[in-house]
Amino acid sequence: MATRGIDFQTLSLMDALDLAILIEDEAQERYEDFAAQMDQHRTPAAARFFRLMAFNESKHGEELSARRAELFGEAPRAVTREMIYDIEAPDFDEVRAFMTPRQAMEAALASEVKAHSFFLAAIPVLKDAGVKALFEELRDEEVYHRELVTEELAKLPPDSAVSDEDFVDEPAPQ
Amino acid sequence: MSATCEFQAKDYKSSLKPIWCPGCGDFSVVQGIYRALAAIGRPPHEIAFVSGIGCSSRIPGYTTAYGFNSVHGRSLPIAQGIKLANPDLLVLAAGGDGDGFSIGGGHIAHLIRRNMDITYIVMDNQIYGLTKGQLSPTSQKGRVTCTSRFGSLEEPVNPLLYVLAYGAGFVAQASPTDLVGMAATIEEAIRYPGFAFVNIQSPCVTYGEEAQQIKGLKAISENLAAMGHNPADRLAAMDLAQQYGQKMHLGVFYRNPEPAPTYDGLVRERQAALSKNAPPKEQILDLFIKK
Ligand SMILES: Cc1ncc(C[n+]2csc(CCOP(=O)(O)OP(=O)(O)O)c2C)c(N)n1
Ligand code: SF4
Ligand SMILES: [Mg+2]
Repeated sequence: MATRGIDFQTLSLMDALDLAILIEDEAQERYEDFAAQMDQHRTPAAARFFRLMAFNESKHGEELSARRAELFGEAPRAVTREMIYDIEAPDFDEVRAFMTPRQAMEAALASEVKAHSFFLAAIPVLKDAGVKALFEELRDEEVYHRELVTEELAKLPPDSAVSDEDFVDEPAPQ
Repeated sequence: MSATCEFQAKDYKSSLKPIWCPGCGDFSVVQGIYRALAAIGRPPHEIAFVSGIGCSSRIPGYTTAYGFNSVHGRSLPIAQGIKLANPDLLVLAAGGDGDGFSIGGGHIAHLIRRNMDITYIVMDNQIYGLTKGQLSPTSQKGRVTCTSRFGSLEEPVNPLLYVLAYGAGFVAQASPTDLVGMAATIEEAIRYPGFAFVNIQSPCVTYGEEAQQIKGLKAISENLAAMGHNPADRLAAMDLAQQYGQKMHLGVFYRNPEPAPTYDGLVRERQAALSKNAPPKEQILDLFIKK
């Protein structure tokens, strides 16, 4: 989780909204990639869960985009995807072939915690009151998402003590 | 000529879905390459990306550049041929530690001494991934694999020292433990006018050992810039490079402050000089048939 070339002290509300949209885009894309990897490696339950996460991220992105359009119309964007690195997107190494739904949810939970820490760390640096309010809202949303995933996790039966990997061929290296 | 429009990382991502094992470090390397290419801004059709054979060597196919997933160990001579045939192309070469330092190890010295303007990225996972986990030239001594059941008896090759000793003008190391640093390092390597080498410690989640996964790598990583290392100091770079395997230094070990002329540039100059007095094409055959 990191950023490159963003000055949080001078961040405008429009840039902050664009940044939030890009963060959702990045997470959506990562979950889609994870779902595709799970399909390829015959791990359908985790694939379904990652698709659901991708859908949630896209919905949140759309809400933020609507707000941005309402406030700033078509004004050109100053921040780019190249400035953010895995803010809410789960880390590349969070997935494994044959992972259980519980492990998939735990990966999502870790990424919500990561995003929460990002907003938490950025807030004290912000100068603009509107940007601060937006980041606080986003920080609280991460807490809410975390609670949702934790609730879903609690509903799952515990994973078998024996690893699924013991029953299947090891993934074919590529 | 380069187009003037701006490119984003996604413009370099192909529609092909990577078939690496989920969690493989190479997923983050390809992202680092997309970002570096976006920062450079050359359109995909002006980029030639050559690899050898191995899991890592699948990488050109996941980009929109012209790609050639070629022959095991032969990415560099092919990349050199492409650069000489069309010096205007941005030429990248990539592959694994086995591809680069076992079967292909002999080629590196020649591209370095010629200072070919090529960026060479090695995804060093200290194992032969594609062929299911045999000992590689960078595997640590004592490593147990399917071809070293009782532990390897050999010292590993040190890729950093190897290229520094041959005189490479740009030598760096990166890892998925620092994604910003990885993209910036690849970008800097591409911008270097000459042969640039980036060793990327890219974990193999299927055959790699615990210590070589992200957590293990984080524990031994140190940022060269933060340490105050001067990348113009080749001897200091060689000193630090000796710690390969124990420490993971990230960033630029060495950047020649006065890059030598590139071979591709010299060839172009020679061609221009010789073609001044060259007879027209239609007369060339006459040189051979006339007494
Ligand atoms: C001439 C030749 N010899 C051997 C092989 C078998 N082979 C394919 S990939 C590979 C090694 C792969 O290891 P590495 O280059 O480190 O790439 P990784 O899969 O780890 O990314 C070998 C020995 C081959 N394809 N061609
Ligand atoms: S075998 Fe290792 S290097 Fe190859 S795709 Fe799988 S994790 Fe990556
Ligand atoms: Mg390898």
